[in-house]
Amino acid sequence: MSAPVHAAVTAGKCTSCGTVNYPKRLVCKKCKGESFETVAVGGVGKVLTYTDVYALAIDYETRYLRLAIVELEDGLRVTGQLLDENPKLGKRVKTTIGIVREPGDKPILGLQFVPA
Amino acid sequence: MNPVYIAGAGMTRFGRSEWSLIRLAGEASLAALRHAQLGEIPVDGVVVANMGAARVNKQTALGSALVDQLALYPAMAEAVENGPASGASAFKVGCQAIASGMADVVLVTGVERMRVVNGLEGTDFVASLSQPEAEYIYGVTLPSLAGMFTRLLMDKYGIERKHLAMVAIKNHFNATKNPYAHIQQTVTMEGILTAPEAIVNNPPIAEPLHMFDCCPVSDGAASVVLVSESIAKKLRAPKVRVAGLGQATDTHAVQEREDPTDLKAVRLASEKAFDMAGLKPADVDVAELHDAFTILEIAESEAAGFFPRGEGHKALERGETALDGKLPINPSGGLKAKGHPVGATGVAHLVELTWQLRGEAEDRQIPAASVGYACNFGGFGNNVVATVLKREAE
Repeated sequence: MSAPVHAAVTAGKCTSCGTVNYPKRLVCKKCKGESFETVAVGGVGKVLTYTDVYALAIDYETRYLRLAIVELEDGLRVTGQLLDENPKLGKRVKTTIGIVREPGDKPILGLQFVPA
Repeated sequence: MNPVYIAGAGMTRFGRSEWSLIRLAGEASLAALRHAQLGEIPVDGVVVANMGAARVNKQTALGSALVDQLALYPAMAEAVENGPASGASAFKVGCQAIASGMADVVLVTGVERMRVVNGLEGTDFVASLSQPEAEYIYGVTLPSLAGMFTRLLMDKYGIERKHLAMVAIKNHFNATKNPYAHIQQTVTMEGILTAPEAIVNNPPIAEPLHMFDCCPVSDGAASVVLVSESIAKKLRAPKVRVAGLGQATDTHAVQEREDPTDLKAVRLASEKAFDMAGLKPADVDVAELHDAFTILEIAESEAAGFFPRGEGHKALERGETALDGKLPINPSGGLKAKGHPVGATGVAHLVELTWQLRGEAEDRQIPAASVGYACNFGGFGNNVVATVLKREAE
């Protein structure tokens, strides 16, 4: 199955040791290298954990948000919004891109997860 | 490094306050200064702990503002912001000033006045400590991180919602014995979990966490007076020494932790604090943990070294962490019921421990307590300060 990737969400792959740093940082957390190649983040993975959160921050008008941390097949873990009516630990999902926050009239694109 | 002693401790009642931010800080400071009975000995330095005043109260430079309220000029002064660990961080800065010989008397005061904004704004102000691009933009709030952490631990160790409720029941009970606590009302397993109406009393906040798993939003201030050995000798007060201090950091985003169920920064900070003190977790008589969410009291009790991993909820169930247990945890009522004015919390931990070690904790006194431990948990575990206090013989 081809893994969807999204240029809207990118990570820094260390050119010295190959570690994908996401979120990006100036110094590689593994080898302290300072040179990175930009790579897209996304693909197929499994739900590591999730929650329905009712204690929301500003910018949301919904009653609750379903958030998850997903472990992608390449081992990278990402946080995003889970669009799944029947969430379960370990369930296979794939990433998609969508509007995850709208401060004022400036929508922010980010990772969402749907059943794979 | 020169020894550091806590000569006095005081706080305001936590809850909703009509006092201004600086009035709160000032009242707690005066209580601590009166407790210390310094007489003519001057205060050399002031460190204020606070997280949100710049945003929530539109006020900055709180060190200078508190010096002015208390007419402590020309004492050196600053404010420390380190998220929810601001309190113990400010305490650490005060200790460093005395340990280095730069000061003899330092006032450390933590304060937060956050009930002036609505719930969304308050939750968002605390959420601003999360990783901006990988967490915050998705609507991550502190309760959501705690909810996801709770689900992982429940799955891994067989922790059930009843164990979380036991933390709340214990801490609410303890708070009824603490006149400074925000919430002074006991809760029962029926009322918050097992009765049919429990879902109404205790609605979900971040599944599997419900309202009674989460600390309230509080205003309040707490303060301690730190002194050098030469000053401590001049005072008649019992000697509570800062025996050990440790601090450790971890990745900003929770998703990046190698083992997201391991509170590594709590573990490392605690090991450092116990090493410095020359003491072990088993030597501790009373502990104040950062139970912003009930799960954190259980997880921190393991990471601090009191119980093996995955065993904290069993010790809780056996009553070992109750007021009359082997290791009483959060006799003050904890963040859960005493309240959580964010910048004040880390200092309030040390206020409670100081009272406990001096035998001044009244109805919630742990008999003959001589070693106390506190964990101030910043971020969602990415910046933790652990402190070990010891009562010294006269």
